[in-house]
Amino acid sequence: MKDLTRRKRLRHSLIVLFTLFIFSLPFLITNNYYLSVLVIIGIHTTVVVGLCLLMGYAGQISLGHAAFYGLGAYASGILTSTYGISPWLAILAGAVGTGLITYTMGIPIFRLKEHYLALATLGLGLIIHVIFVEEVELTGGPSGLSKGIPYLSIGKLVLNTDFRYYFLVWAIALAAIILANNVVHSRIGRALRSIHGSEFAAKSLGVDTDKFKLQVFALSAIYASVAGSLYAHYITFISPSPFGLMTSIQFVVMAVVGGLSSIWGPILGVTAVTLLTEALKSIIPQLIPQAGGEYEIVIFGLILVITMIFLPEGLTSGLLKLYEGWRYRKERADEIP
Amino acid sequence: MKFLEINDLTKSFGGVQAVNDVSFSVDKGEIVAVIGPNGAGKTTLFNLMTGIYQPTQGSVVFKDTDVTRLTAYQVAQLGIARTFQNLQIFNNMTVLENVMVGRHTKSKTGFLGAVFPLGPVQREEREIVEKSLDNLAMVGLADKALEAANSLPYGQQKMLEIARAVALEPELLLLDEPAAGLNSTETRELVEIIYGLRDRGVTILLVEHDMETVMEITDRLVVLDFGNKLAEGTPYEIQNNQEVIAAYLGEEGLGC
Ligand SMILES: Nc1ncnc2c1ncn2[C@@H]1O[C@H](COP(=O)(O)OP(=O)(O)OP(=O)(O)O)[C@@H](O)[C@H]1O
Ligand SMILES: [Mg+2]
Repeated sequence: MKDLTRRKRLRHSLIVLFTLFIFSLPFLITNNYYLSVLVIIGIHTTVVVGLCLLMGYAGQISLGHAAFYGLGAYASGILTSTYGISPWLAILAGAVGTGLITYTMGIPIFRLKEHYLALATLGLGLIIHVIFVEEVELTGGPSGLSKGIPYLSIGKLVLNTDFRYYFLVWAIALAAIILANNVVHSRIGRALRSIHGSEFAAKSLGVDTDKFKLQVFALSAIYASVAGSLYAHYITFISPSPFGLMTSIQFVVMAVVGGLSSIWGPILGVTAVTLLTEALKSIIPQLIPQAGGEYEIVIFGLILVITMIFLPEGLTSGLLKLYEGWRYRKERADEIP
Repeated sequence: MKFLEINDLTKSFGGVQAVNDVSFSVDKGEIVAVIGPNGAGKTTLFNLMTGIYQPTQGSVVFKDTDVTRLTAYQVAQLGIARTFQNLQIFNNMTVLENVMVGRHTKSKTGFLGAVFPLGPVQREEREIVEKSLDNLAMVGLADKALEAANSLPYGQQKMLEIARAVALEPELLLLDEPAAGLNSTETRELVEIIYGLRDRGVTILLVEHDMETVMEITDRLVVLDFGNKLAEGTPYEIQNNQEVIAAYLGEEGLGC
């Protein structure tokens, strides 16, 4: 009992420390480009936290998350620019709508397992993406929404700079992490993990595994939708291209690289992958001038393979093990004078 | 009304009749064993009773409720818990968390409560921890609560499965070969645990190959052979049943 409370305290103090660190960053980093990268990292972290609930805890997979991210972005974009609805209401509408769509579509999809499930979610993502491209009247088609999407504002404060938006994005990303952490350490979180551990045993202990899979799928899609809305109000223009399969794969890679079963995994994974791709974006054209966007997929593939070989449990536990190994060697060294 | 009734239960996998027209019943508070040579259909019988498989024919009636067509989680909610012949420990959790999953049906926090854990949710969580620690203490694993479940040796993992099933507060507990792989000390502990559960009013149906233990603890036995019920009776009757002895000839014998 005492040990349990101590573990909980440690978890909570880590979260507090990290929050302080995050909110002091924009005062230290004044370069706008770096700040904008950090904003995108915050938005992607929100998506990946949801994806980790689905993949790491419940042991399911989705290759459609970029489309759910797109659902949020388009809901916000269309509702605010075409229909003049309040942005905050639009975010909520996008989240609820995405939750309903994914829950219903999940009913047939989650009869499948593993590779088949991956393919079905990929299919769902592709269908949604096709709708973004083809429903020209609603979405503006391949060239995107024609009317501008307004900035978000809190009261009179318009969030139209990277500095201001940073605080909103990271407040939501941290809330996403804390709420996901609550779920993980609850009856529901244990039910989800039991599905991953042994679906057979989970059912035999009274866990309605089918229902929980659907619920966590919808919850993780809602996370993606909210992040998509934030993206739309940040860029203030959207077109279908960021919501395709490439981005879905990118999210999965980020989740796997960070480590699927730690609440810190998403931040580490998103940061590592984003920094790497940003760095490569400036290096690759210098090395191979004729390289197009396709090299990205090669890089994601490489990152995934390297992670699976060297850090199969992701960066988080990889770093923890390195630290433990270092402490062990240090203790040994201290013993031998 | 019978506590548990198995009526004409049949299951075929393609051409194999894994369970064939088996009927028997169990009274509340009994310890009953299902025995039979390898491949006799014992595990399949458990899977049929717990909604893992749907029978080709026949029915399972638990306390006047027909559970034949229910799915596994619904059967569990009615108060039937089980352990597995091939361990099904949640390897991604601690020992304590494994047992806490066992209390799933006895608690009710939903997604909303999980996201925003207010007072009542925290109270329920504390209660789950306390009760689960009691269940662990029953099988002698209280001091291992915070260890990773898969770090336990085999025998303790089997005990953990029992604690996890008991956490569901079942009225009927199905144990599939609980003594397999246990040393003699552990087997003695197991017997004490089973007696303890019986004294708390839990009805126990077990599959077991360890004849000495089976004959010692059971009130009645059901013998399966190639999916068919060969015999049913008290340990004394079974040990003196010619058909049963014949079925076991060439095997290790009945031990006593
Ligand atoms: N899912 C399945 N698909 C096909 N055949 C199966 C399946 N499950 C069991 N069987 C077959 O049914 C028969 C009974 O198997 P079961 O596992 O019930 O035996 P058992 O009595 O538990 O044996 P053991 O003592 O070895 O555990 C066997 O012939 C087995 O091959
Ligand atoms: Mg068996």
